Amino acid sequence: MGRYLQLLKLQLRTSALLAAQYRWDFLIDGLISLVWAATAIAPLLIVYSGRSQTMIPGWSMNEALVVTGWFILLQAILEGAINPGLQAVVDHIRKGTLDFVLLKPADAQFLVSTSRFQLWRVVSVGTGIAVFFIAFGRMGRAPSPAGLAQATVLLCTATLVLYSMWILIVSTAFYVVKVDNLTYMFSSIFDAARWPSSVFRGVLKAVFTFVIPLALMTTWPAEALLGRLEPVTLVYAIAASLGFAAASRTVWLLSLRRYASAGG
Amino acid sequence: MISVRGLKKHYRVHKRPPGLKAALKSLFKREYTTVPAVDGIDFEIKPGERVGFLGPNGAGKTTTLQVLAGLLYPSDGEVRVDGHLPQKREVAFLKKIMLVMGQKQQLLWDLPPSDTFELNRAIYDVPRDEAKKRVDGLIELLQIGDVVNKPTRQLSLGERMKCELAAALVHGPKVLFLDEPTIGLDVSMQVVMRDFIRTYNEQFGATLILTSHYMDDVAALCPRVIVIDKGQLSYDGGLDELVQRVRPEKRVAFRLSAAVPLSALEGLGKVVKNDGAEAVLQVPVEQVNAVVGKALQSLPVKDLTVENPPLEEVMSELFSRSRAEKGKAA
Amino acid sequence: MTRTLRALPTLLRIGLAEAVAYRAEMFVWVLSTTMPFVMWVMWSSVAERTPVVGQSGKAYSASAFSAYFFCAFIVRQIVSSWASWEMNFEVRQGTLAMRLLRPIHPMISYAMGHIAALPLRFFVVTPVTVALLLTCLDELPKDPRIWALWVPCMVGAWLVAFLSNIAVGTLCFFMESSLKVMEVWLACLMVFSGYLIPLDLFPPALRAVADVLPFHYQIGVPIEVMTGRHTFEQTARLVATQWAWAFALLMLSLVAWRSGVKRFQAFGG
Repeated sequence: MGRYLQLLKLQLRTSALLAAQYRWDFLIDGLISLVWAATAIAPLLIVYSGRSQTMIPGWSMNEALVVTGWFILLQAILEGAINPGLQAVVDHIRKGTLDFVLLKPADAQFLVSTSRFQLWRVVSVGTGIAVFFIAFGRMGRAPSPAGLAQATVLLCTATLVLYSMWILIVSTAFYVVKVDNLTYMFSSIFDAARWPSSVFRGVLKAVFTFVIPLALMTTWPAEALLGRLEPVTLVYAIAASLGFAAASRTVWLLSLRRYASAGG
Repeated sequence: MISVRGLKKHYRVHKRPPGLKAALKSLFKREYTTVPAVDGIDFEIKPGERVGFLGPNGAGKTTTLQVLAGLLYPSDGEVRVDGHLPQKREVAFLKKIMLVMGQKQQLLWDLPPSDTFELNRAIYDVPRDEAKKRVDGLIELLQIGDVVNKPTRQLSLGERMKCELAAALVHGPKVLFLDEPTIGLDVSMQVVMRDFIRTYNEQFGATLILTSHYMDDVAALCPRVIVIDKGQLSYDGGLDELVQRVRPEKRVAFRLSAAVPLSALEGLGKVVKNDGAEAVLQVPVEQVNAVVGKALQSLPVKDLTVENPPLEEVMSELFSRSRAEKGKAA
Repeated sequence: MTRTLRALPTLLRIGLAEAVAYRAEMFVWVLSTTMPFVMWVMWSSVAERTPVVGQSGKAYSASAFSAYFFCAFIVRQIVSSWASWEMNFEVRQGTLAMRLLRPIHPMISYAMGHIAALPLRFFVVTPVTVALLLTCLDELPKDPRIWALWVPCMVGAWLVAFLSNIAVGTLCFFMESSLKVMEVWLACLMVFSGYLIPLDLFPPALRAVADVLPFHYQIGVPIEVMTGRHTFEQTARLVATQWAWAFALLMLSLVAWRSGVKRFQAFGG
């Protein structure tokens, strides 16, 4: 365990070195973060203002803004900590260099998951938190301590689910040759999480509840912060995230075994 | 055909000091240094010549080739290839040359090489029948008839390199630059490539410049070598004279019927090897006859050969020597 | 010039063969462009509850939203460019050198690769077009003159998309990678093009920003023309502006390409 912490520290240090080398990335990532935040908030402004005065059922503008804050925060985690490492697996598989990773005396999933971080994406975490402050400032109240605690738990479950889904997608890279676009695809499906889940109905609602649990990632944490989450939802979230994690670990190990027996 | 006068190519590079602290500092302030990749080179190459560029890693061989192919702009000096200034990248110039890089490929990865041939035919505007004749000739010469219709990704490295060469020759370039064309290939494949390159040069009179890590490539292909070290030209002439100059010694190898003590050999010359069954001596050229005579009398010799020292050793000695001289000058 | 023209059919044929080889990748890419359907569900659920009225005073019914987002999907499939990714990839791999050795302008070979990929796109576009015609025929314009203008409008939109991609791509000659810039570009495209939200619904301030940017002409304008949001005269004016943008971007990318190659020759790849 201590060894893995050491490894994580080392990998983070390497990423920090890289981040410092590409100094323009700081500015550009900051800019990207602001633009993405704008793309997340602009639709809300449009839905809730202007001549149309339309709204999303059960959500005031400020409440919906909290969902958007979670969306920005999780996108930062996805693109800063999850995407880069798993993109590395895809690169490894394509170039046939995964063998070097498998030869190392540490868990391969851990090694690839921590191999790269986009540290400048921290800027987006700041943006997401700023959105929370603005939303609660406009509502003139603060989240309750209980709500904050629930939200923290949900942040962990949401990250775990995101990560597990990613592992599942990357595992397909062992079966399909070209998966360069997969990262892109997942990011754009995740885009739908910017809306409170109540906007979706019918088939999409089913897909976004059971296949890709978007509600778990942004809507539930927002409800927790707003202090209106049913406590039992917390149990669902924990159960679902553990289920996803177990499933993804199993699939990962199966894929590795297949990779090893196929000889690359 | 090719004339190079006072060619210099300097790069300005950002110093990247090690360590996190230094990296953070370089966020705000960057230091640059000028690296002279090529630092004043002159040579002339006549049409149809085969010339080998030799030099250690980072000596400036590839940079020189890239300048000749118009991919890099010279920092100073004048380069002309068949009357063209390469850096202008005129269409007429581009149609006359080709650069083959062993580590970079132009073949379309997921399509068969024949598609790349066809693409190059169109891009270089070669008439169809002329291209067909040439491609058929290349396919026969390289014996790639059964691989040109398989996707490139399924080919072995050797097959791929053969097709890479064929693709580079669809437009019949007059000047061919080869940068490490045999890298990673096994010995027999290297021989096939060498034979092909020589045949191509002889049949079409194309001028050929080659860099290679494998001295055998250069020895087999290039009557003339240009040695570049630290961006400067340190030798230009025949390969044999180069060997003579650097190592004016021959190697005499004896097959022995019985082991001899080291002391019996040391009087004859410098002992390179003595393992009982074989002994190798290094002897100045003028003493070879005398040494052979003495050895036949005093040693249980079954068989003997006289040869040049291996080219690899000659090179490493040449480069270490020029480095030591530079060290002294500095 | 004629030499380049003679090469085009072969470039297209090889390009199509490559597109077929990469069909699985294209399919994954198509899955990642399904955002219009998500937006469609969202907006039509909003429109069913309260009337949505644009700045122009025209209302958007649920079926108007269906038509809009079906068209958004169709336009995105046809008007798309990945030239800047290709360029960044080739610069990183060093294979751009091979492209520079060839006696044909690389912009032309990139363009042919893009056009050659279109036939495969129609496998995706056709069913969506059928769905559009079956469900939203009433939302489409009846004036044949508008449909006549729609063709140059699509070509112009493609030019704007391709040339802006090239312009951003050439930045990779000057910095380590221009993929990040492309990401900013894409984010702006998502918001200001009308891909996710019809520009007509923008608040006036945002709308004013969108009007001076090229993104609208890449996706929003063709959709609006297809869904009959403009009169013939308005359409003609929009297409003229769009082609002016395409021309400006062409000049920009030619200049950027030339100075980029100069820089490549100075610093090496």
